[in-house]
Amino acid sequence: MIRPRVIPCMLLKGEGLVKTVKFKDPKYLGDPINIVRIFNDKEVDELIFLDILATTENRRPNFELLKKITSECFMPLGYGGGIRDMDDVRQLLSIGVEKFVLNASAVENPALVRLAADHAGSQAVVISIDVKKTLFGKYEVFTRAGKKGTGLDPVKFAVDMEKQGAGEIFVNSIDRDGTMQGYDLDLIKRVAEAVTVPVVACGGAGNVQHLAEAVKAGASAAAAGSMFVFQGPLRGVLISYPAQDELKRVMP
Amino acid sequence: MTSEYRICTRCIMDTTDPDIVFDENGVCNHCHDHDRLMKQKVVTGKAGEEYLQKLVEQMKRDGRGKPYDCLIGVSGGVDSTYVAFLVKKMGLRPLAVHMDNGWDSELAVKNIEETLKRLGIDLHTEVLDWEEFKSLQVAFLKSSTPDSEIPSDHAIWAVLGDLADKLKVKYIVSGFNVRTETHLPRAWSQGHFDWKYIRSVNQLFGRGKLKTFPHIGFFTYYRRLLTHRRVDILNYIDFNKAEAMKILEQELGWRYYGGKHYESIYTRFYQGYILPVKFGYDKRRSHLSSLICSGETTRPAALSELDKPTYQPSMQEEDREYVVKKLGLTDDEFESILNASKKTFWDYPSYGRIIEGPALKFLYNIGRNWYRARQKRAHQAEA
Ligand SMILES: [Zn+2]
Repeated sequence: MIRPRVIPCMLLKGEGLVKTVKFKDPKYLGDPINIVRIFNDKEVDELIFLDILATTENRRPNFELLKKITSECFMPLGYGGGIRDMDDVRQLLSIGVEKFVLNASAVENPALVRLAADHAGSQAVVISIDVKKTLFGKYEVFTRAGKKGTGLDPVKFAVDMEKQGAGEIFVNSIDRDGTMQGYDLDLIKRVAEAVTVPVVACGGAGNVQHLAEAVKAGASAAAAGSMFVFQGPLRGVLISYPAQDELKRVMP
Repeated sequence: MTSEYRICTRCIMDTTDPDIVFDENGVCNHCHDHDRLMKQKVVTGKAGEEYLQKLVEQMKRDGRGKPYDCLIGVSGGVDSTYVAFLVKKMGLRPLAVHMDNGWDSELAVKNIEETLKRLGIDLHTEVLDWEEFKSLQVAFLKSSTPDSEIPSDHAIWAVLGDLADKLKVKYIVSGFNVRTETHLPRAWSQGHFDWKYIRSVNQLFGRGKLKTFPHIGFFTYYRRLLTHRRVDILNYIDFNKAEAMKILEQELGWRYYGGKHYESIYTRFYQGYILPVKFGYDKRRSHLSSLICSGETTRPAALSELDKPTYQPSMQEEDREYVVKKLGLTDDEFESILNASKKTFWDYPSYGRIIEGPALKFLYNIGRNWYRARQKRAHQAEA
């Protein structure tokens, strides 16, 4: 693809999709299957699904549901949430998930990153880094749906993960999540300058200009939730995706 | 249903409507209803313009100090999109309300997105809980009544009513239109506002209680008849569907999606597949009949339209596979739903059965006789 990828990032809660604000107040969006179908027709570059409760509920991915999703999904699909070991990775691969998004398990069990990369190739291993600014203005990596601080610095962590074999770094700003006010460009810039693998920006996109800004700051791809599922001041649920010519026009 | 096949001499309604009756000229009851309703409800030309002008002024006055003058339902279809276009043109401040029941097509959401953005209308979406709604839809399929769209039709009016109450907005502007929606037999579709009916079908065939499903209770329905006002705006203009579509395409970037109400995948499949295959009803028949009576098409053209498949057979197969999967059914289960013996609205508990049943009729008759006797006495006393 010539232009940078633009990726809807969808959050699973139970059997439904939701959208959060700053990782809180999940708002119900509906059945993931129909939403995937709409994104198919919109010829979306790629889709990411994150199960926001799997890790905190200490359970494995919902393979049953993911199977339904992959069977309906025509574009490359990434999945994150509750992936704990190689069994999970193998099972996800077998049902057609192309990328594994590791978050808590990358922090708690970095060896899994290496194993998954050896098994499925680096390009399939995405490390999702949820970042919050601390009271003192420092960036810190959080896990478990943004509830657990790790004390890790996101830039250093990203570099470590690249060394472990990760093929993509997904940087998600908790402070910007659902605000639609624009990405944390400073954070994206810092991570992108430190690693050689592609960086995907997430958290805060509200319009196509924001997507372009993330790319200018060094991201290889821009992910977003709210801007693809809400419309207007009342945040009415409506699935959308920018037209191809609009993306070509604004993307650097 | 054992009687001979017959078709109306004016429209194309036939004995697939079990209740159809014909006059001495072979014209059906629906055609007579059409003529009556056209006289009662449709005001066009100068008179319609004046009426609408007055109404719009009233709506603006009533809307003062409120965030919106009126609510409009939007589905991405021709009628509702044209309503959005009209109310905006008349200077009203509408709030668009969309009910997402999990079956929106891409074309539908794209149409809503484009038109509301271009017209500058706010959107409120009510997303039905899919797990609950899925169970209700399956329940209606299993009930074997020919009206599986009733839960959706009920819910959208419930959502509009709830929101009108909450925002204290009095007017709900609808895309209902006498010209094109008269010839619908009761036997094909009945019980839209009957919450008891919906609840009993769910109780008998669903999986668990309806906890979040938007609904209208018996008394709420009647209260809202008094407090809300429904404006069927298309009845007051010289509405022509083909022309409306042209305007929408040119001014709003709107795109056509095939048949009537085919903006929803389920509606498309229900009307285009389940109804004709299982029940032998073709909703196009009633829609085309309305169009004949309103002069938008001719009888021969309508008949040849009916000879065509409801929609492309390859797409029907695709839809069938998707619908079966999305509803969590197996192919066998779906096949047995198609083959199950047909039922009607009257086979299940409902408010309708109470109101139109013998007990209430009996009470109604007593009341009427008492009233008449009192009137008579009063007259005698006066004399
Ligand atoms: Zn007729």
